Amino acid sequence: MSEPQAQASDDEPTLVEAAPPASPLDGGEAVSPGAIGGHRTWSGPVRLLVLAVALAFVAFGVPGIIDRYWLQIVTSVVIYSIVTLGLGLLIGRAGMVSLCQFLLLAIGAWVALRLDYATSLPFPLLILIAGVVTGLIGALIGLPALRLSGLYLALITLMAAGAITVVLRIAQFPNGGGGFFGNSAAGGASSRLPRPAIATGDTAYYRYCVAVALLMFLLALWHVRGRPGRAWAALRQSQATAVAAGVNVTLYRLWAFALASFMAGVAGALLAAAAGGVNINQFPVQNSILLLAVVLMGGVYSLGGAVVAALLLRLLPALLDNWGVSTELLTILFGVGVLQVLLTAPGGLVDQVPKDLANLGRGLRKLASPRRAGEEAAQP
Amino acid sequence: MPDLKPFIVLGVALGGVFAMSGVGLVVLYRATGVLNLAYGAIGATGALITWSLLDAGWVPDWVAYLACIVFGGAATLLYGVLFGPPFSARDPLVKATATLGLLLILLGTMQWVWGRDPHGITLPTSRWNREIFDARVSGTQIIGVVFAIVVTTGTAAFLRVTKVGTAMRALADDREITATLGVPVRRVEAAAWLGSGIVCGAAGLLLSNLVGLDIVGLTFLVIPALAAALIGRLQSLWVTLAAGFLIGIVQSSLTAFSDVAEYRTLTPFVLAILALLFFATRQRETDVGSSR
Repeated sequence: MSEPQAQASDDEPTLVEAAPPASPLDGGEAVSPGAIGGHRTWSGPVRLLVLAVALAFVAFGVPGIIDRYWLQIVTSVVIYSIVTLGLGLLIGRAGMVSLCQFLLLAIGAWVALRLDYATSLPFPLLILIAGVVTGLIGALIGLPALRLSGLYLALITLMAAGAITVVLRIAQFPNGGGGFFGNSAAGGASSRLPRPAIATGDTAYYRYCVAVALLMFLLALWHVRGRPGRAWAALRQSQATAVAAGVNVTLYRLWAFALASFMAGVAGALLAAAAGGVNINQFPVQNSILLLAVVLMGGVYSLGGAVVAALLLRLLPALLDNWGVSTELLTILFGVGVLQVLLTAPGGLVDQVPKDLANLGRGLRKLASPRRAGEEAAQP
Repeated sequence: MPDLKPFIVLGVALGGVFAMSGVGLVVLYRATGVLNLAYGAIGATGALITWSLLDAGWVPDWVAYLACIVFGGAATLLYGVLFGPPFSARDPLVKATATLGLLLILLGTMQWVWGRDPHGITLPTSRWNREIFDARVSGTQIIGVVFAIVVTTGTAAFLRVTKVGTAMRALADDREITATLGVPVRRVEAAAWLGSGIVCGAAGLLLSNLVGLDIVGLTFLVIPALAAALIGRLQSLWVTLAAGFLIGIVQSSLTAFSDVAEYRTLTPFVLAILALLFFATRQRETDVGSSR
């Protein structure tokens, strides 16, 4: 590969600039498995209990305190957290970037809708098949670039994003008609997948999504802690060393790509059955880039970052809209966030906020102590 | 077999669009290792500034057109000076991702400031038409084709003949060694950013005429343009130029075949993926080194 070698290798001191911080995209340090939850100091059972209570609150407490509109928003946050989880794994663990995840979401929805039209498969099976088909398509997209550098993989996914956008526009996305394209001139603007019998209501469907998301997070955790996680860590450090250590490079890179795409497909199927269904306007190209931005901002080294990313992507615009603030400002903010994460905060918000809070606390204490000393001195 | 001549003429005109953007991308990548994905967004912002100036009518038209080119140069240079050095030792992927940050900032700003109204710029040259092989070609389209060829030739000559050009080629090979040889690395890089930005501003002005002044459309025109650059392996200016014209001609010719005409905008992506498949099969032996 004869691309410009303007960059220095990681372990050589640079003449011109100081060594940059490790970043999700250029190798860097492997993250210890204990850092996944972010709270290394807590003991296992306590952490598990806190997580369980938080999860129970999310599943059963949240629907009780918000109205129907916000429940729909929170449902979409849960669904999108599956997509951000997949992309976060791909970037943070395998060190690869995909710019077509948002459009794979559309593919997942498409597959689920067409399968539902053609067959009478039960809902969980629909989700699974949508995920598997999308995973295969994702792996196919990544295939030509796997032997080239990471930049080429990102670019080929950008090509794929452009191509899928064109196909969606021509087909007008399945809008209720028959056949493979599901295109009907008389059909509505959006199409919706019938929900499973056990979760027809909005609250029940919300809990259903939480359950699926939980399964996906467990799947991710299993991958990170197990053999694939170790293989990805080795690959990120140095591909040559990984090859020498007997890691099947092509298999594990392809697997990471397929896993992220699988998750996007599952989320797509869930989205197709959410309130309002799906329509072509939900999948503009810029969302693929916004998705990458929020995933980087949320933090790719921790599974919690996926939740933060989904909140940034779905809840924040709704909140701003509610307060009458223009959501275009959010696009600017996300752009600044990308530069910030790449320059100084590779761990994203999940990693940075606790650190900043600790620094702030220290700073406040420092500020407070001389004042107290001064007050004491003023006393006679 | 339909008569393809008019479609080929229109294809060359369309190819100029891809070629000029693709060449601009490759020039900067070769000199600094940065693939500027905000290329389209910078051009679009410049064109919108021109539109605002024309609309307000404060300045002569040529000043408004110049503003687009100046904005392209200034914005690109500013980004290069601010973010070039801190990212210089990073992977090309990180550098490219960082420009996505710039893309989002510009896109958000454009949608915030200009998002509500429709816009359009008509260059004086767009009013001039001429028939070539039954295809109507405007002056701007001809300028686009000539511009793409001139930029490619000019840049190739600049890189080969001038001192700064030689320094840029050295930088592309190895930044560290170039620095040890006493080349003012940052100044040479700034020159590359400025040059690429000026080309970007000029391209933005032409493209706003050729494809329409649509914020999202112009911003993401970088994707099909990248296809041309990818076929040139982000390396060869001449291959990128040729690929741009090839994509344009194929895409335009497909209009003549009604079965696939609908899918003709897939052309850049399909050709780029085919090219990458071809490279991938030939890269097998060197892939370990290239991923760093």
